[in-house]
Amino acid sequence: MCTTKREGYRDKETKIIFQKRDPRPEDVQCTIQIQGGALDFKSNSASAETSFPNLSLFNIPSRKMSSRWANDDPETEAIIAQQRREKELKKRAKAEKQRLEEANKAQARDAKANGELGPPTKRRRLSNDPDAHPDDAKVVKIEKEEKRQSTLLRFPGGEWGPCRHVDNFERLNHIEEGTYGWVSRAKDISTGEIVALKKLKLDNSPDGFPVTGLREVQTLLEARHQNVVYLREVVMGNKMDDVFLVMDFHEHDLKALLDEMREPFLPSEIKTVLLQVVGGLEFLHSQWIMHRDLKTSNLLMNNRGELKIADFGMARYFGDPPPKLTQLVVTLWYRAPELLLGADKYGTEIDMWSIGCIFGELLTKEPLLQGKNEVDQVSKIFALTGPPNSETWPGFRSLPNAKSLRLPSTSAPSSAGNPPLLPRSRFPYLTNAGLSLMSGLLALNPASRPTARQCLDHKYFKEDPRPKPREMFPTFPSKAGMEKRRRHHTPEAPKRGQEAPELDFAGVFGGAPGGDTGEAGAGFSLRLG
Amino acid sequence: MAPDGLKHLSNVLATPDQLSNSSSSIDNIPSDLETSIRCAGAQLTQAAGVLLHLSQDTIAQAIVIFTRFWLGADGGSLRIYSVKDVSAAALYLTAKLSFQPTSPRSVLNVYTFLLSQDASPLWFVRQSGAPETPPSPETYILSEGGYQSARLVLLRTETIILRTLGFDTHVALPHTIALTYLQTLGVTKPAVAQRVIQHLNAALLSPQLLYVTHQPNALAVAAIYLASREEEVKLVDGEWWEVFDVDREELGFLVVGMKSTEGFMRAEVSRWKNRAIPMVLDEVDAEIERRRMMEEGE
Repeated sequence: MCTTKREGYRDKETKIIFQKRDPRPEDVQCTIQIQGGALDFKSNSASAETSFPNLSLFNIPSRKMSSRWANDDPETEAIIAQQRREKELKKRAKAEKQRLEEANKAQARDAKANGELGPPTKRRRLSNDPDAHPDDAKVVKIEKEEKRQSTLLRFPGGEWGPCRHVDNFERLNHIEEGTYGWVSRAKDISTGEIVALKKLKLDNSPDGFPVTGLREVQTLLEARHQNVVYLREVVMGNKMDDVFLVMDFHEHDLKALLDEMREPFLPSEIKTVLLQVVGGLEFLHSQWIMHRDLKTSNLLMNNRGELKIADFGMARYFGDPPPKLTQLVVTLWYRAPELLLGADKYGTEIDMWSIGCIFGELLTKEPLLQGKNEVDQVSKIFALTGPPNSETWPGFRSLPNAKSLRLPSTSAPSSAGNPPLLPRSRFPYLTNAGLSLMSGLLALNPASRPTARQCLDHKYFKEDPRPKPREMFPTFPSKAGMEKRRRHHTPEAPKRGQEAPELDFAGVFGGAPGGDTGEAGAGFSLRLG
Repeated sequence: MAPDGLKHLSNVLATPDQLSNSSSSIDNIPSDLETSIRCAGAQLTQAAGVLLHLSQDTIAQAIVIFTRFWLGADGGSLRIYSVKDVSAAALYLTAKLSFQPTSPRSVLNVYTFLLSQDASPLWFVRQSGAPETPPSPETYILSEGGYQSARLVLLRTETIILRTLGFDTHVALPHTIALTYLQTLGVTKPAVAQRVIQHLNAALLSPQLLYVTHQPNALAVAAIYLASREEEVKLVDGEWWEVFDVDREELGFLVVGMKSTEGFMRAEVSRWKNRAIPMVLDEVDAEIERRRMMEEGE
């Protein structure tokens, strides 16, 4: 949080004199810079003396006694003293100039901020002066902030106030309906800005305001990141249960974009997209937030190549040790195997699995694992990755739904490396580095999946072709912009409050009851390569 | 510039306007009565949280939400919302967002017990304290019909709190920050840590509303300052609080505020020793009427 940085020897000549004449380290002044401000103190007295960071950091203390290294020759002494005096004078002049500049700047700033109100109050105003300018409070606050920041770190403290009414927005067109709300494009009447307005679905829940909605607001308010959609405010309607989230509007979602494109993204574009998703996710995980519903339709893009993670209807805080969690999370096609097998202890790895699915989808434009139901999903997963064994996924047998799982006795010989590489044939155009990243993300064993941080450092993003700069990203006509968007045929995120189904996976490898009917077998015997 | 990454260590604070104008004062509730009721409500929340086996961080967050609700002209008025309902809803809401959610029924059962004139252990509800022999259960049990209507009020109040606070339910607490600071200062004596936590919990009841006027790091530093004095543990020389981004003036104010909480509470107890602090709307109206009569009588 704070970096220590020595800022002293700005001037070579002075430094030489210092070393020559007075090597005592305790006379050296140092500056400890704390983010946003600086604390100066003399390390010999340990008494903290705060000052503006730009002003004379470096006073040469007057020396009373000469050190051992002092030159005895009075002539040399005199020359050095002369030099030092000159130096000192220059230094003072410079500091003076700097201070004047600083003062001028401050004055200009004050004048600008305050209009004709005269000098601002420096202290936080604690009384309400009725005849004060209404904006004055704000100005004083800003002033205070600026002044304080020069010494101590100020925490970002906002204010609270009641929700505004939704009538402050003019609804333009409907965009989409998700599991937890309806989204429409709207205009802020006072500013003219275009925003996305999401109405939360509050079906008369017996527990009051749905915890999912609360978590969505709470996590979005705290997750301020360039790759996370920006929640501006929450507004309310006339009825008690009309609640709308006001968010920045983005032209596309990735799902619609992929649907409309003739050709998939270029490798460099895939990297740009993926880096942004993982970057946003890395931030969320660092803030103890799990998203739990990552999929292409929840990734928004604008025409400046920026990607934002959206729809926090499933998101929640997690802890260490993890609290008890529901397994009914993540849209089926993006759901990690441990969730399908009924794990009630899981972590951020489930988001990484979804990233793997999104990666696959970016490559081919088609969702990677389109199961018809939970059982089918499991068989599709195993068809891709090969069935789990105690080597690749120790302990999977103890998961609740794994009991009914009958695995073929002739387990594929475990290929070298853990996690094993996915079959090359499924991703013919992917480089080796790309395949190793994909195999890591889609590792059956959650512990084998890379974290978001590790993902960002993966060599796939370092090799050619490099990620395309965002400014160079192609633009597309926006569906959300003007016209009603067609509903995607992705399955929806699981609804809260449903019972987690007791799944019978007996059919996963038999082509029997609940399993797959269309494709021949569950197919790892048919697997190529 | 303070980075956004510190958001989880900081809080929204009351504006001067919110501190000097409350909805209750607009509704002609004397400010001393408002302070008494708000403080009693905070104690009620604390007691209910303990009975519900919620952890102290959930309870503390609930008290902060409860406190924020009453501030400012846009806040809640004691003439419109019963302090007991807001306390219950704040606790229910906070628990719902925590790792230990609780049910409306448990919350309402506990509040019925705590507000029962015959069974309550709370000094501001029943002046004689908890009865020696347990009273008959009818005096503190919520009937089914009572539960159904109370549940509606609870859930409605929850939404009202959310709307009043603009759905910002984030509360950063100083407790864990204080422990980190203690370790940084090299203080290992458990008594100091305990005293710090005590000061921080007592400050939740402070009439100066310290939790909505100061950031958690400042509260933590003030509690450490006080506790180390009281436990006679010597801290490092120099103005160590500046390392934790608190200036001397703020520290001084907080130390005085925290030290005065005990005196305030004692004064409250003696001031209200003959009658209960009003917890519902009718009682508030009756109290104001009583004061009016007294004034006219004199």
